Amino acid sequence: MQPLRRLVILCRGDSERIAPWLDEHEPRWLLTCVLTIAVGCALYGGVVGLWRAPFQAASTAVKLPLLIFLTCGSNALLNGLFAQVLGSGLGFRQTSLAILMSFTIASLVLAALSPLAYFVCLNIPAQDDAASRTGHSLTLLCAVVFIAYAGVVANRRLLPLLRRCCTTPAAGQRVFWSWLASNLFLGAQLSWVLRPFFGLPGQEIRFLADDPLRGNFYEAVFHAFRQLLN
Amino acid sequence: MNQPTEPPNLPTTAPQPALPADAGLGAILDTLLKRPVVLIRALCDPRPSRHWLILALVALPAFALYGLLVGTFSGGSQLPAALVKVSAGGLVSALICFPSLYIFACLSGAEVSLRGTAGVLSAMLTLTGLLLLGFAPVAWVFSQSTDSVVFIGTLHLIFWFIATWFGLRLFGNMTKALGVSDRTHLKVWMGIFVLVCLQMTTALRPIIGTSPHWLPTEKKFFVAHWIENFAGAALPASAN
Repeated sequence: MQPLRRLVILCRGDSERIAPWLDEHEPRWLLTCVLTIAVGCALYGGVVGLWRAPFQAASTAVKLPLLIFLTCGSNALLNGLFAQVLGSGLGFRQTSLAILMSFTIASLVLAALSPLAYFVCLNIPAQDDAASRTGHSLTLLCAVVFIAYAGVVANRRLLPLLRRCCTTPAAGQRVFWSWLASNLFLGAQLSWVLRPFFGLPGQEIRFLADDPLRGNFYEAVFHAFRQLLN
Repeated sequence: MNQPTEPPNLPTTAPQPALPADAGLGAILDTLLKRPVVLIRALCDPRPSRHWLILALVALPAFALYGLLVGTFSGGSQLPAALVKVSAGGLVSALICFPSLYIFACLSGAEVSLRGTAGVLSAMLTLTGLLLLGFAPVAWVFSQSTDSVVFIGTLHLIFWFIATWFGLRLFGNMTKALGVSDRTHLKVWMGIFVLVCLQMTTALRPIIGTSPHWLPTEKKFFVAHWIENFAGAALPASAN
């Protein structure tokens, strides 16, 4: 089947037709997923970074797909182990492919929302404007909404697939939540490591922060809450 | 009038093939992850096999590797120290709890030999070790990103709890494989094992932070140690 046709079926979430793809040993479909994630996320990342500067656009276009591949790669062993000990019957290769397929859907949604994100970018105060802080906040808010939507859609497609592919629907559900937790937990920290994605107005544009591994997402959230309460 | 009807056919599951006595490492690990009941049956089989030894030989390097990763938080001399302490801690906890496991399994009514008990314990340690290895990349990312001993210590504990929970589930499979209905004694043993492991983290301190001494000079209960660490979270990373 043509890769584009498969992507359409994947978006429809036709788990009956998607399930056999997990057992294929040919790398073609895997490469299609990888390529779709790279292109889709790069497109969206480029548009989001464009508000700040062309270099920010280029670096976000590289970092957004990198974030997904690093999350998948770092959690591959853990997610595979979870799938097996939770009785899904899925192997390491099938696990990685299922997660990549889910991220492929998210990337397609993000790519589809890119023109809209560009439209938003054109209509908010520019970074050299007096109201650039508002522009930054709007870009951030818009990205959060778009990425959250893409994530929800991708996971809503993954869950029925897992229910079908696993030995029991309950096992599929357990595996789904374990993957979601592990990917969110590491993904949040990796997004912190790969910051900045948007770039603050008036701040020097860089590919990575000076000491990217310094600090972590959860401590930052904790300190923000503490500051808010004080 | 009601006509007698034939009862519906109940779904039957195909019997799972037994694990051969000469199974290799890959087959044993695959069975441990996917069909733990089959592995436990093989481990509890009175015929001699080297499964438990293979499992133990996987568990030790897995714990050692995770220990090495724990040591990357402080680096330097803490790298080999954490490697030794984490692997020795796991091994010693298992050895301390092994006699009670055998007795408690017997109290539960399980017909299991000493070798079979050692095998299930090895399987539990191996599964825990493998899951800890799965968490290793995540733990490494966080250990490079923070100076807080409390944060990284809590994170390692969470990972250890998850991995151990999956490991201890094997005892549920053991009761299933051996047809044991009373799990109370094994649940008590699980509680004891968790407590021993937690105390081991304090008895072998420092595992995460640094200290001029290889082992602690002061005896302390793990809860008191944790409370002290949480209270002094703002202090430098030398107390854990």
